[in-house]
Amino acid sequence: MTLCEAEKTFVLHGVEENFRIDGREREDYRPMELETDIVSHAFGSARLRLANTDVLVAVKIEVDTPFPERPFEGKLEFFVDCSANATPDFEGRGGEDVAIEISNTLSAAYHSPKVFDLRKLCILKGRKCWKIFVDILLLECGGNLFDAVSLAVKAALWNTQVPLIRQIDIDGNNVELKVSELSDCQRLDVKTAPVMVTVCKIGEHCIVDPNVAEEQCSVGSIVVSVSENKFSTVLQTGTGSLHSSTLLDCLKLGYKVAQRLDDALWSTLSKIQPTEDVGFLK
Amino acid sequence: MSTNKELISKIGLRLDGRRANELRRIRCKLGVFTQPDGSAYLEQGLTKVLAAVYGPHQVRGGRSKAQHDNAIVNCQFSMAVFSTNERKRRPRGDRKSTELSMHLQQALLSVIKTELYPWSQIDVYVEVLHADGGIYPACVNASTLALIDAGIPIKEYVCACTASLANNDTPMLDISHQEEIIGGPTLTVAALPMSGKIVLMEMSQRFHLDHLKKVLEKALKGCRDVKQILDEAVRLHVRDVGSSTGWAGTG
Amino acid sequence: MPIDRKRINGPEETVPYNLYTKLNTKSLLQEFDELFCDGKRADNRAPLEHRKIFLKTGVVSQAKGSAYIELGKTKVIVSVFDPREIPNRTDYSLKGEIYCEFNCTKRRLHQQDAEEKQYSAIMKQALESTVCRHEFPNFQVDIYALVLHNDGSPLSAAITAAGVALSHAGVPMYDLIVSATLGIQHNVKFLDPSNTEQRLCDVSISSDGKEDSHGIIVISMLHTHEQISQFYQVGNISLEDITESVKVLETACKDIVPLVQKHLVKHILKTIKNNEDYVILVSS
Repeated sequence: MTLCEAEKTFVLHGVEENFRIDGREREDYRPMELETDIVSHAFGSARLRLANTDVLVAVKIEVDTPFPERPFEGKLEFFVDCSANATPDFEGRGGEDVAIEISNTLSAAYHSPKVFDLRKLCILKGRKCWKIFVDILLLECGGNLFDAVSLAVKAALWNTQVPLIRQIDIDGNNVELKVSELSDCQRLDVKTAPVMVTVCKIGEHCIVDPNVAEEQCSVGSIVVSVSENKFSTVLQTGTGSLHSSTLLDCLKLGYKVAQRLDDALWSTLSKIQPTEDVGFLK
Repeated sequence: MSTNKELISKIGLRLDGRRANELRRIRCKLGVFTQPDGSAYLEQGLTKVLAAVYGPHQVRGGRSKAQHDNAIVNCQFSMAVFSTNERKRRPRGDRKSTELSMHLQQALLSVIKTELYPWSQIDVYVEVLHADGGIYPACVNASTLALIDAGIPIKEYVCACTASLANNDTPMLDISHQEEIIGGPTLTVAALPMSGKIVLMEMSQRFHLDHLKKVLEKALKGCRDVKQILDEAVRLHVRDVGSSTGWAGTG
Repeated sequence: MPIDRKRINGPEETVPYNLYTKLNTKSLLQEFDELFCDGKRADNRAPLEHRKIFLKTGVVSQAKGSAYIELGKTKVIVSVFDPREIPNRTDYSLKGEIYCEFNCTKRRLHQQDAEEKQYSAIMKQALESTVCRHEFPNFQVDIYALVLHNDGSPLSAAITAAGVALSHAGVPMYDLIVSATLGIQHNVKFLDPSNTEQRLCDVSISSDGKEDSHGIIVISMLHTHEQISQFYQVGNISLEDITESVKVLETACKDIVPLVQKHLVKHILKTIKNNEDYVILVSS
């Protein structure tokens, strides 16, 4: 989508008046829909729809050997797949750049042990650990991918059931694990998992949750990922540059909104009920 | 291969409790996304497929591919990495997905009235969310729905179905993943059920030529049944859309 | 991924031997105390002291412009090539593009891994806002950064050097770009961290559940406009710490600028002198 100058001016004026093109205020989000447990054969899954943006996340767990330099830690890997369903530009390997950007940002955001403790995924020091694959499928892009993906990932990890280890048999170099049934599992602790907020600078003001048109009008945006009360990663995207005071304003706004978003996510997750018609048939 | 496990029990029930001539439950929905020109979601048993159609639009990537009398149909088949029990490493680009993309294109070319759109291109993208046997038929059926949702003129429905031969004499319909791995031949047929034409037929493993007729007959019957279900879904969708707009523009 | 058959790849993964020795038993907190005692760092620097910088241009003869930078032991070569048409593109783009490749030589395969790709993206982001991209529509400028020795802060070294290399190549630019890195651990801010400091800042070392910040911040600044063209942070840092760090980094960037300026002036003087010699040679 490309906008002409007049359209851009219209969007810009809307932001100035605190009345954006879809009637929102500068700090408002578009409506969101969240479903969990949508992929039946995954260990955990979630689907988030943020207006037109549609993200499906599934978590798979495998037993793996830990890295030799970090024998006490499990592994966490993010894989983003940009489906061509979202836009024909993603056909073939077209979506790879976007995919790598998102997955790298996610790994950076989950990097700190204060944010997500990989030590809990260790089964046997230096020998066995859990490896968590978080697979993200972008089904539709309606702007603001980072926020949608981070929320969906957090929800999917919250939904994830890690099997319990019942028994470990060590016979020389062979390690055999006896794993509990799927009905008897423990959940991952994701209280501190980060939530990302994209703060977009349009004209003199900063907005959150830009749609595609607003993303076009902005020269620079900042993706902040907040875990509890700390920043776990900050990344500048877009082509423009910002003054340092603007940057700090963006960080403050992102921080405030992220807290609100995180609270909203938790209250939603606690209210989620298993329903009959989940998924795309609704 | 374990042949001792029977595909059909003595009382005529299959592993998942179906009878030999029963399809798995098909549920579908048209217009699940707003950005593509047409989209559809289809569930066949546990197999879940999303299809999106973009176009007809100008040919992308160099005009050399464009044809002066036809539209080109471009298909991409891709499987989510979590769609199978074992996590896949890559969603697309392997041999199997390339082959399926080509077969899908072949099936769709037979029904789309491409001569109406010279110099243009139609993109069909399918994404498998859960693979549980019969991926190709599910993709064909979902693409048909997505094409209808996009309003692209087609000659008739193109439907696909699988059939197999159990215990060397009973043909059975719509093979699930479990039945696929236990063994037995699988015959995949994509057909135009109204005119009774076959556009694609593929078979793995072998059975005696004498059985081909009845297995094929069974698969075609499956295609006709699928068509019934799809047709019903389309009518329901059109009625919903139409009545919500007060049948505006229908004169 | 296609594999380059002409190259001898060596083993895909290597493990440093010292992981298996007993030396490795120090706790992270002990390591930290060794690294930072009495307000001095291991290399006798104050926490907010930048390492000495050495800059040189024109080190790669094939490239249009190139620069070599040393930050203590960290050594980076950046080369910039002539604008060329963007390959495999069909649509016309009004603005030129920048292509960055960042190569780090920790015993690695020659293909870029995820970290290098991420650094490339950050470098691209940093340089995009300083290059006048409208001057060469539908063309791209290739920038290659090769880290010869990584002793911390390779990214900011590469960005600073890339700014110099771009001006050496004569690519139109709005402003000079300089970059600096800062690490935070245990309430101490390390400007321009070395590799060990960077590694320590990467993880949380306080075990008693204190709310300490830890992490790394990289910023790039356009000097005269006082604009931040790129900001990247990882770890777990509170807002107050970020605010303070940005101030520290800004002054650090301001300190680097005169060096870059001096170097560029020197380079121009040299070129003019060479040209004069040439003119004299021709006229005589």
